[in-house]
Amino acid sequence: MVMTICGFIFSPLIAIIMGLLMLGVTRKVMARIHWRYGPPLLQPVIDIIKLFYQKAPSHGSLFDFGVILSLTGSIVVLLFLPIGRLAPLSPAGGLLAITYLMLVAPLGIALSGGEGANPNISIGISRKLILSFGYEVSLVLGILAVMTRYGTISIVKVVEVQQTGGWSLFSWPLVVAGIAYLLILPAILGVRPFDVVSAPQEISSGPNVEYGGKYLGLSTISHALSEFISIGLFVNLFLGGWGLWGAISPFQEGGLGVFLGVMIFLAKIFLVYMAGLLISAVLPRLRVDQAVRYLLKWPSFLAFVGLVLAWAL
Amino acid sequence: MLETILIVAFSGAIVSYILGKVSSRMRNYLSVLVWLSLVGLTSYIYFSTPARKVFYPDFLGFDLALRINYFSWLFAITITVIATLCVVFSFNYIKGRERTDFYYLTILLVNASMLGIVVSGDLLTFYVFWEIMSWSAFLLISYNRGAALAAGLRYIVMSIIGSGAMLVGVTSLYSNFGTLALEELPDQLATSSSLYLLFIFLLFFLAFGIKNAILPFHTWLPPAHSEAPAPFSAILSGMLIKMGTYGIILLFYVISGIKLFLGLSQGVWSFHYILCGLAAVTIVVPTFIAVLQDDAKKLLAWSTIGQAGYIILGISFGTSLSMAGGIFHFFNHAIFKSLLFLAIGAVEYRTSTRDLNSLGGLIKKMPVAFLATLVGIGGLIGIPLTNGFFSKWLIYKSLILDGQPFLAFAALIGTWGAILYSYKLLHNVFLGQLPEKYDGIKKAPLTMQLPLGILSLGVLIFGILPGLPLNPINKITTSLGFDPLNLSIWGTVSDTGTVNTLNIFLAFVVVAGILWYVFRSGAKSPEIAQEDSYAAGAPIPEDKYNYTVDFYNPLERMMKPFLRDLIDDFYSWIVEATNQLSNMIRKTYSGYVGTYVMYIVALLAALILVQLGWKIW
Repeated sequence: MVMTICGFIFSPLIAIIMGLLMLGVTRKVMARIHWRYGPPLLQPVIDIIKLFYQKAPSHGSLFDFGVILSLTGSIVVLLFLPIGRLAPLSPAGGLLAITYLMLVAPLGIALSGGEGANPNISIGISRKLILSFGYEVSLVLGILAVMTRYGTISIVKVVEVQQTGGWSLFSWPLVVAGIAYLLILPAILGVRPFDVVSAPQEISSGPNVEYGGKYLGLSTISHALSEFISIGLFVNLFLGGWGLWGAISPFQEGGLGVFLGVMIFLAKIFLVYMAGLLISAVLPRLRVDQAVRYLLKWPSFLAFVGLVLAWAL
Repeated sequence: MLETILIVAFSGAIVSYILGKVSSRMRNYLSVLVWLSLVGLTSYIYFSTPARKVFYPDFLGFDLALRINYFSWLFAITITVIATLCVVFSFNYIKGRERTDFYYLTILLVNASMLGIVVSGDLLTFYVFWEIMSWSAFLLISYNRGAALAAGLRYIVMSIIGSGAMLVGVTSLYSNFGTLALEELPDQLATSSSLYLLFIFLLFFLAFGIKNAILPFHTWLPPAHSEAPAPFSAILSGMLIKMGTYGIILLFYVISGIKLFLGLSQGVWSFHYILCGLAAVTIVVPTFIAVLQDDAKKLLAWSTIGQAGYIILGISFGTSLSMAGGIFHFFNHAIFKSLLFLAIGAVEYRTSTRDLNSLGGLIKKMPVAFLATLVGIGGLIGIPLTNGFFSKWLIYKSLILDGQPFLAFAALIGTWGAILYSYKLLHNVFLGQLPEKYDGIKKAPLTMQLPLGILSLGVLIFGILPGLPLNPINKITTSLGFDPLNLSIWGTVSDTGTVNTLNIFLAFVVVAGILWYVFRSGAKSPEIAQEDSYAAGAPIPEDKYNYTVDFYNPLERMMKPFLRDLIDDFYSWIVEATNQLSNMIRKTYSGYVGTYVMYIVALLAALILVQLGWKIW
């Protein structure tokens, strides 16, 4: 009971802090790769606070509502996604509910942008939908492989199974689906070479082009959260969630165990994110059709093989 | 009670036709009154289900009867509600057209005959109502003439093939068992050989599959749905094709029974798994064809085929979860697809186009239609808190936990296609820039807004409280021989997976409330006109700032080669080949006596040759 209430409060907080921190790290790391000094680590937080005090134009009520809907969607997903052992709403729906709830955040941005009536937004959204179709094939196959292998549709159970049976990514036959997931992860995150959606130099940040002030602030938070959620899902499904080869089992009960679990989970997210960042920093942008062609080729093939293996073995 | 319902429904159709000759206003009121009273009567009859009424005893050795149980009640109530709303929607939509009396007659007749189908207690009565429905639907599809006539012809040809097959099936059943009553057939069929069972299944499946537009019988549906008047498209997609679903459930689970249906197999080929495979193809291929469409109603029509695939998948997979999911999805689809067709109908009524390439930005002009479409596509995709979520969830869960991840993959990827085309629909009609020619567009009239509002509420209420329809559905599946589900008003409880939509709803409300407060406390934002947007400092060209044409161009270029409707090509080839053959035969009639004499001489010569060669005689 206490844990549920803690989860309701802390899950979104942890995710927002971590997500914004990841954005800050991105800018710093990118700058260092470019041989620049780069902004301070907390620059995204400073920006958001500043943005809330800035006046920004609105294009109508759906323009406002969409941004709020997007962030609401992200936060609701966080209540379902196990962050360490905090998953306050997980009894209300499993992995299938999460995959569906993850649609709400992009839908909100798309609706809000739609009323923005700027073709850059429409192009961005159309690219986003095309790109997500590309990676969603592998994503669905990967999630199905995990669910079929472990015979459950509850994400909490998937994490629990991995504490005794080893991480999915390092266990046969889920490793195949796991590699496919790793290959599409940059596309899910929307980092290079898959940053076709925002593509600042081509379509002026795409869906974000009409946002200023608090709109930009909220959509930045929403963006940070969706990065957190995408990697968080991967960590939970394939990297054993809060587990570290039994390292925290002595502290399992009580507050310390929960705290350590969250920390391990965040560390894993950070490592995966950094790996993706370092790869993406040196790659140029693909065109959207090239990106989809890539996504529908090797990752989909691997993910399909992964599902066949998980089903047959 | 049962016969009262049918009498009211049919006489309502005829009386409103006659009344229309006197006053069109009176006719409109009467038709709504009739269907409102039918909604009342059908709801009332829930308390006396199951009921049976013989109306012609001992006809050819069995009783012609009407019957109602929970299964047919669910269909009946959906028919009456959708029919009422579509009739209300018709008021303005059809006003000022010619032959309006005829329109009302046929639309009321279609709905009355559908009611007749679901309450028939024997296959003969069923067949009679089935034919009335098929023919009156043909009259309505071709109501607009022109292209609509061709679409209607396509529909009726396939429909006749289906009902011909059904007639063969009905006569075969009668000559073998001497009865067509739905109560007596299961015992009789249980004794017959599996080959005969397969024969009966295939005959009836042809009839119901064509109505339900399962691949490869789907080719009539896209032109019929897009050419029919919008209120009838809603009925067509919402209810009429579901008569195929009704028939399939009737055939597999009532007439033959769950054991016979699931047990029908030959080696590794199990009949119901083949059906599941067919349903999976029906989900995936039409869904992606829908993405390519530029006509709003054609897009929805292809989407209907895909969604009907989910229903058939759920039904033919045959577990208690998937069955409940299939029936629930029928119910949900009836609501959200009629809603979408009506919303697009309202747009068509105001702008007189449904071309997705030329519309745009109507959200400010037609907010109710926009909200209705938004809610409708929510249900179509199955976003949580809309009704489609739970029904699809039941189907997915059943497929995954019963070890069929590939069918589940087809279903899930079909949902992704649904996201693609439904966002295209929403964006290209309501979002983006408003073209100048639509500046003077007015809101949809009240008689159109009312049905849209009611249906949208239905999508949301049954999404937040799925237990409301699921409890009757649970009664249905139990009566068909499935294990009961552990349900409550907000979803389902089980150790393999729980869903609590009420909790999701509360989470959404609370989080959105907090964010709204945060949002409000930020700096105020003045509202600006749509032209006042960022264009990198360049002047914004008038009327050319709307991005709708080729919305998914990169994807379309990639998919198009794979998404040809080969089945339609094949049917067209048959038509073409028959035409050519007939032409060749026609040429033998040259009109010259000499030619005919030559035929006679040639025939005689051939006969003589045969006689000389083989000495047959």
